[in-house]
Amino acid sequence: MPDGTLLQARPAARRKAQRFGHKFRSRLTGWVLGTVTLLFLLYQWLPIFTLGLLSFSGPTGGTTFPMNGVSLHWYRELWDASIMNDFKPPLGRSFVLALACSATTVVLSVMAAQAVRGRFRGNGLFFYLLLLGIMAPGILVGFGFALLMRLLGVDPAWDSTAFVLHVTYTLPFGFLTMLAVFNRFDSRLEEAALTLGASRWTTFRRVTLPIVLPGVIGAGLFGFSLSYDEYPRSLFTTGADLTLPLAVMAQLDRQLTPELYAIGTATTVFSFVAIGIFTFAFWAMRQSLRGRQP
Amino acid sequence: MPDGSVTISQLDLELRRIRKRYGSFTAVDDVSLQVGKGQFVCLLGPSGCGKTTTLRCIAGLEEPDDGDILIGGKEVTGDPPWKRDIAMMFQDFALFPHMTVAKQVGFGLEMLGKPKAEIAKRVAEVLKAFEITSLAERKPASLSGGQKQRVALARAMITEPRILLLDEPIGALDYSLRETVMLELKMLQQRSGISFIWVTHDQNEAFSLGDLVVVMNHAKIEQQGTPEEILARPRTPFVAGFVQGNNVFHGEAGTAAGGVLRVACPVGEFLVPLADLPAPAPGAAVSFSVRAERIADRPDPTLPNRVTARCTAVEFFGAVRRHILELADGEVLKYDQFGALAPRILPGQTVDLGWRAEDSVLHDAVLQG
Repeated sequence: MPDGTLLQARPAARRKAQRFGHKFRSRLTGWVLGTVTLLFLLYQWLPIFTLGLLSFSGPTGGTTFPMNGVSLHWYRELWDASIMNDFKPPLGRSFVLALACSATTVVLSVMAAQAVRGRFRGNGLFFYLLLLGIMAPGILVGFGFALLMRLLGVDPAWDSTAFVLHVTYTLPFGFLTMLAVFNRFDSRLEEAALTLGASRWTTFRRVTLPIVLPGVIGAGLFGFSLSYDEYPRSLFTTGADLTLPLAVMAQLDRQLTPELYAIGTATTVFSFVAIGIFTFAFWAMRQSLRGRQP
Repeated sequence: MPDGSVTISQLDLELRRIRKRYGSFTAVDDVSLQVGKGQFVCLLGPSGCGKTTTLRCIAGLEEPDDGDILIGGKEVTGDPPWKRDIAMMFQDFALFPHMTVAKQVGFGLEMLGKPKAEIAKRVAEVLKAFEITSLAERKPASLSGGQKQRVALARAMITEPRILLLDEPIGALDYSLRETVMLELKMLQQRSGISFIWVTHDQNEAFSLGDLVVVMNHAKIEQQGTPEEILARPRTPFVAGFVQGNNVFHGEAGTAAGGVLRVACPVGEFLVPLADLPAPAPGAAVSFSVRAERIADRPDPTLPNRVTARCTAVEFFGAVRRHILELADGEVLKYDQFGALAPRILPGQTVDLGWRAEDSVLHDAVLQG
């Protein structure tokens, strides 16, 4: 194709529009908005930072300021002391439960969003009923569910009743994520695949799924993280074998030491690393979407 | 009109009275069409006339409520798109953003289950034919509009379908590029022998490309025929008004004598040949049209059809000067003047204009509903 045929107008017009939007924000509003945003972020993150700071206090340090020295004592304690043994089984359960919730959320939310995208009789009602999982207060839902299960003669356990209830909570988040992703998805891509001889399933596998994959991963992350630290819905539905949040709360009731802070900090760092890996993966995927330049 | 000499076995596509409704809205109403082997058909009409829905019914992306669709003589009305011998090109090309050019051009062959080596060979050939070999490893985001268009075309044509459906295929291209691309596509269509069904709202595209032009309005086919037929003999006031350069007159039928009908209009009485139409009852509402270039200024006194009009504007199209004039009843009249030496008509000037009886085209009253 000769060079004279390039269509160049569109990106330039978009850049222009962005500059135009900038013009309407004066210096003063910029500063005010910036300060408010910064304060909000501090408010959001300082508690976790405090917790992290206190986890490095000395061997004689308590759970409040002052720190009484700086050390890795509580992490060492965590590593070899008995407390970790108490937490290991709940940690394992929570991890498995979160993975299962994540997988279930991914599958169900993609299916539900596809269904709503295709419109069916009562899809509005379906939408609101699904979202009820977010709206309904967790502790009540958990209690009601436990009562119902007892009525049906089902014993509560982390891998049955708690799992089902967790999914009712994580599914709407995944569902909303997928709806947002499909909202921006160009369904003509699917039509193109269909007219090129691909069946519906092949079209989904080869065209739809790869394009909405970032959303699918997002739904999975929601499923994992929301289930991993879910407390109210677990409270009455988990039975004797506790999940991590329940175990931590039980420990808090018994004895509060900086070890718990160390656990919290370690978990947070672990989450950040996970997020970092995913961010990098997204970035790499976006790069590959652009394709190799000649 | 469909060519009666075409036999069924030669048809690439046949639509038999298809109808499509969305709730109370009728998108396609009683559309019948026959497309012979390797024909270039343009579905022309304003937006919302049902041309795209018709195309989507042919593709299998919509299912008609009524009627039959036959591709290559085979009934496919209920078949899904992937079982039809078609390919489709979308207005914004609908390239798969996650696949390289080579991968998406080979997609159709992959769906046919061809062996990898064969696909690679064929893709290389097609990329070469479309002069996009250098783009093979690129992804759509890094392509220009013209390049995307070529990739989309290569992707659609690699399986050599019986019919290629094109939905405003050059609408997304730069204006300067369209004419070249149109010519290339026309030649490609003739070489390949694949039938093209081309949807457009642009009459220039339709008339310069189509072997058959199908003019649609309000979900129905208003007229189908060769470009010459439609330009020379618009059968309805809509077609006449939609096709550039026609002046449409509405009036009352008078007496018919010698195959010529008298039509009384607010701005005068005109002679219009009946051609193949039956004479309407005297007093019936009729309409006719006359092309802007068939009109003469300072008319010969023997010309039967004459009007007086005031010039309001003059537009220049190369060798043609188009005059926009106002008739006594306020209607607009277009008059095209050729020739560098013709005396100029200036805005504000009042002129006499006239045309021969045989330059008026009577519209089919039956179709005017």
